[in-house]
Amino acid sequence: MKKSIFSGKRNRTFLLMTIPIVALFFCFNTLPLIKGFIYSFTNFRGYGDYDWVGLRNYMDLFTDGRVGKSYLFTFKLAVVATILTNVVSLLLAMGLNSKIKFKSALRGAYFIPNVLGALVVGYIFNYFFTYILPAFGQMIGSGALGSSMLSNTKLAWVAIVIVCAWQSIAMNTIIYISGLQTVPEDVYEAGSIDGASGWNKFKELTFPLILPFFSINMVLCGKNFLMVFDQIMALTKGGPAQSTESISYLIYNNGMSGGQFGFQSANAVIFFIVIVVISVAQMTVTGKKEEQL
Amino acid sequence: MKKVGKEQVNWPLTIVLILGLITVAFPLYMTIVIAFKQPSEMTNSVAGILSLPRSFSLANFKEAMEVTDFWRSLGNSILITVITVVLSVLIHSMLGYAIGRNSADSKFYKFIYLYIVSGMFVPFAILMMPLVKQTAEMGLGNMAGVIILYIVFYMPMNVLLYSGYLKNIPIALEEAACIDGATTWTTYWKIIFPIMKPMHATVAVLTALGTWNDVMTPLVIMSGTGKNTLPLAQLNFQTQFGTNYNLAFASYLLALIPILIFYIICQKQILNGVVNGAVK
Amino acid sequence: MKKECARAVSACACVCVAAASLFAGCGGEDEKSGKIEIELVHYKPEAVKTFERIAEAFNATHDDIYLTIESPNDAMTILKTRFIREDNPDIIGIGGDINYSNFVDAGMLMDISDYPGLDSIKQAYKDIDKDLEFVPQDGVYAVPYAANASGILYNKDMFDAHGWEIPETWDELLALCEEIEAEGILPMYFGFKDIWTCLAPWNAIAVGLVEPDVCRQVNSGQTTFTAEYKETAEKMLALLPYGPDDPFAYDYNGACTAFANGEAAMYPIGSYAAPQILSVNPDMNIDSFVMPSNADEADNKLNSGIDLQFCVMEDCENKEAAYEVLDFLLSDEYVQEYISAQNSVPCKEGDFTISPMLDGMSAYIEEGRMADYQDHYYPAEMVVDAQIQTFLINQDVTAFLDKFDSDWLRYNRDIIRKVQAYNEQNKNAE
Repeated sequence: MKKSIFSGKRNRTFLLMTIPIVALFFCFNTLPLIKGFIYSFTNFRGYGDYDWVGLRNYMDLFTDGRVGKSYLFTFKLAVVATILTNVVSLLLAMGLNSKIKFKSALRGAYFIPNVLGALVVGYIFNYFFTYILPAFGQMIGSGALGSSMLSNTKLAWVAIVIVCAWQSIAMNTIIYISGLQTVPEDVYEAGSIDGASGWNKFKELTFPLILPFFSINMVLCGKNFLMVFDQIMALTKGGPAQSTESISYLIYNNGMSGGQFGFQSANAVIFFIVIVVISVAQMTVTGKKEEQL
Repeated sequence: MKKVGKEQVNWPLTIVLILGLITVAFPLYMTIVIAFKQPSEMTNSVAGILSLPRSFSLANFKEAMEVTDFWRSLGNSILITVITVVLSVLIHSMLGYAIGRNSADSKFYKFIYLYIVSGMFVPFAILMMPLVKQTAEMGLGNMAGVIILYIVFYMPMNVLLYSGYLKNIPIALEEAACIDGATTWTTYWKIIFPIMKPMHATVAVLTALGTWNDVMTPLVIMSGTGKNTLPLAQLNFQTQFGTNYNLAFASYLLALIPILIFYIICQKQILNGVVNGAVK
Repeated sequence: MKKECARAVSACACVCVAAASLFAGCGGEDEKSGKIEIELVHYKPEAVKTFERIAEAFNATHDDIYLTIESPNDAMTILKTRFIREDNPDIIGIGGDINYSNFVDAGMLMDISDYPGLDSIKQAYKDIDKDLEFVPQDGVYAVPYAANASGILYNKDMFDAHGWEIPETWDELLALCEEIEAEGILPMYFGFKDIWTCLAPWNAIAVGLVEPDVCRQVNSGQTTFTAEYKETAEKMLALLPYGPDDPFAYDYNGACTAFANGEAAMYPIGSYAAPQILSVNPDMNIDSFVMPSNADEADNKLNSGIDLQFCVMEDCENKEAAYEVLDFLLSDEYVQEYISAQNSVPCKEGDFTISPMLDGMSAYIEEGRMADYQDHYYPAEMVVDAQIQTFLINQDVTAFLDKFDSDWLRYNRDIIRKVQAYNEQNKNAE
């Protein structure tokens, strides 16, 4: 029905907006991806000559214990960190969007974790987990906190979750804040007349309206955490006892620094397919929800 | 009566938020203290690392600026970041608009949307080798190449953001403009583009942040051109068997300032949501 | 409508224009014109000052050749990307490690056996390079320049104050650790959180116990690591109790700081750590000794490997000019300057002053009683360092070595195939 208002020209303009940009994307993203895909059938080291090895790399993937472990670790980390980040940043965004004092200063300050470089974050959190937290743990007599989390094969991943969340909360908060800007004031006004308040106001009014931003944040978190690399390099370099090797860590370290470019290309291809399947599924679900509202 | 309610400051919440700042202030304090210390003041004791430096001399900052060739590297970083951000806002918003307005009805746009967004999950490591070769063959092994790559890398995220934002912008505005005889193109630039200002600011912040701190792309694409970005120059502080954290931290603090200023400017735009007015 | 199309297209064209406007035109530089250009890229950015001086002096004395030396950060990534781009430098300065083996194997380096300067290089280091080849090659592909040595660094003032003796056998080392511990001092510091530091004691112990070409023996199917590395693994485990309570909590940097601040008497690491330690405590008196991994001092070997060597790329067009540059680099003056600045051991024969920090190792250096780091033969993607860390946490020697053997076959199968084909061929030839 609505469509009839617009002329056919509109569609042509849309196409002209879309096609050149998509072509650019194809050229610098899909094309190299296809080349990488081709390398996944070789034993290419990243330089020099190479042989075709057929499907060997793919067969190896499914029998490689390290790869399997890295998938488990990465997904565990991604799920926990995504939940933690979204809960905290949504609360923070609503807080920063309320009638508070020093609004700009506070917003600026909460943004800082996102700007500090990986070296700084790595050093400070290493120091924190290695020296400060254990000292604090010993002071309060807690056995679990008494030694470094990063050297504990069972806890190192928690430390990484904390740092990941700490860094990405800033970004998610910004997105939630810009989402909250689109919630018209009169919705609240209407709500308060109806007597909606607190949790109900959030559940019934705010959340449905910022649902698109929630799904954006879910996708971005999924992306950041499933591809976690910097934080691993900065904090554990895959240790202790190879308990924190993420998929991206393996792909980069073994493919680029090591000589497994072909094999890790195969790993990257499978990883890509897995994530695309998950995110398409997720987007279809949240997309349906959005439509319902 | 409404007005009064609006002006009321929520003090308990302000205090909670200020207390929460400790999670930011503590690492920042450590960064600042270390940036002022000398390597010989580094220790593994908690009290030692948290203590104030012996003197607040700017020597570390001066040396860090020399080592990184600060002004030139800063210039390159700013150039790359600004061009990337401007082009990203122009290009990505356009694509986001085309997709956002059509993906509900058109299979084609739905496919384009999924195609672009799925690009987010391609690990850079697999693209790196082919891209290095491709950019070199195209004569793009330089800053221009880096900028083009950034525009492509951030396209998935930004298109996701723009098209998501458009869902909250009613189509009625465009319909009205259309009836007035405006073309889609002019409607876009005159009406939709300005309305998306908060999202432009968000996209600008996120894109700027990513490009500002990125090491890998310029490292592999621009190596050998003799040009450095700030993060590339900062690699000077790390060698195989030693890292000068004091100089590095001083340098990171310096690098933090421009992007923080940029954020503060942008966040005003994020705040001044135009949508509130537009809906009425 | 046409207008509208044109606008959309022109907007997109903007990108291209903006991109094009950025192209940096490479202006001709006068000092290079008419000269043969030689570009050297090396992986020791910490030595950038020395190399800047060398390039300057070279260009001042040569009218026909212009030398550019680049000391990039993360040089291995840069080199690999430049290879992809087919933008190879003329000379590369790399370490004698698995990367070198791979480059030789990929046929990227030039055979420089006719380079006269090779005669002045110590045979021990040329042998190390030979051993690094996966399959024995006919030519020579590198000029060893500087080596580092690894063993145990110790706090000399602390040792002197307590009258502790330098141990020469394994039992003496353990006894010394007991003695130090009895005086309430931590005998050794470890920074095993950074997995690569696990390799330092591992290599130092292994060189005394196994043949230097053990990896090649395994590749040709003559032995297994379970047989060869058992003692090494057990001895490494035996050192663990003398370190800090949780050695996996501390990183390299933290361990250097702790050692510099006198928190431990010894630190099993290479001479390369000295600058980092001295940056924290510039007045510290550090000396070193060879890891005494045997019951008999005569069986011990110093763990020393090539830290920097120069290779000419296969596609270098000006071999003569490249040799000229190598000659210049190898002049005694610059060798001395480099090794003094980097605390390294010269690979060139001659009368050089070696850092006093290596006093405890100098006898071994003079006698040539050295063997290369075992990890120079390990493929990086197998992460032996992480496996050693895992082993030290789990303390299960058998499981560790079983995995070592099975992983080795897996990660090296292409090389093993080559080695075995080579062996077949040679057998047939005989």
